[in-house]
Amino acid sequence: MLKIYYFGRLSDRAGRREESLALPVGVNSVSTLKNWLDTKHGLGGALQDKSVKTMINQSLIHKDIVLQGDEEIGFLPPVGGG
Amino acid sequence: MLEIMDTPFNPGERLNAFSEKCKDAGAIASFIGLVRGQKGEVSELRLESYPGVTEQGIEQAIEQAKKRWPLTTALVIHRIGSMGVGEPIVLVATASKHRRAAFESCDFLMDYLKTDAVFWKHQIGPDGAKWIEPREQDYQDKNRWS
Repeated sequence: MLKIYYFGRLSDRAGRREESLALPVGVNSVSTLKNWLDTKHGLGGALQDKSVKTMINQSLIHKDIVLQGDEEIGFLPPVGGG
Repeated sequence: MLEIMDTPFNPGERLNAFSEKCKDAGAIASFIGLVRGQKGEVSELRLESYPGVTEQGIEQAIEQAKKRWPLTTALVIHRIGSMGVGEPIVLVATASKHRRAAFESCDFLMDYLKTDAVFWKHQIGPDGAKWIEPREQDYQDKNRWS
């Protein structure tokens, strides 16, 4: 199963902070997963926004990668504490 | 040293405990960040983290500070969860033999925390809730160190 986390403002857009799902039919990469989630939750392209970073198994990715179906995926809008 | 806490902490007590461990340092600099009320616009601040990722990033920033300045040690305590106006969000303390290294490394760590630390801030007030992201000034401050 994929474990997906939506952080910050993305959790408002997705209406959830996390979800688990099997790799959907036709989805085999981060980019196709983003498109699939965008349609499923009506995100209006929020995951494709350049300010949103993607982590796979808690590591930042800088290019599209193939998914096996058992990854932890985090979608991170701009961060900041203090 | 790093602690991410979902309950309030007392910065004075924590700073005293820190200074007790740094008897051989000649200087300690510290910064305490508080929830700003903004003239009634804010009643609550909620911070969320990405457990594991947040800790790793801050630990790396502390290591960078230790490579850059001759620090005896450094402390970061950061809140997550719900906080009221005036409550401490963060305490950074750095100890060194001399003041300049302590001041600068404390400043460096705060700039990291403001722009790169993996937290998200949800500000709640009478007009509703909104997500707070770093300002351009915060990014400019951070770029002073690159």
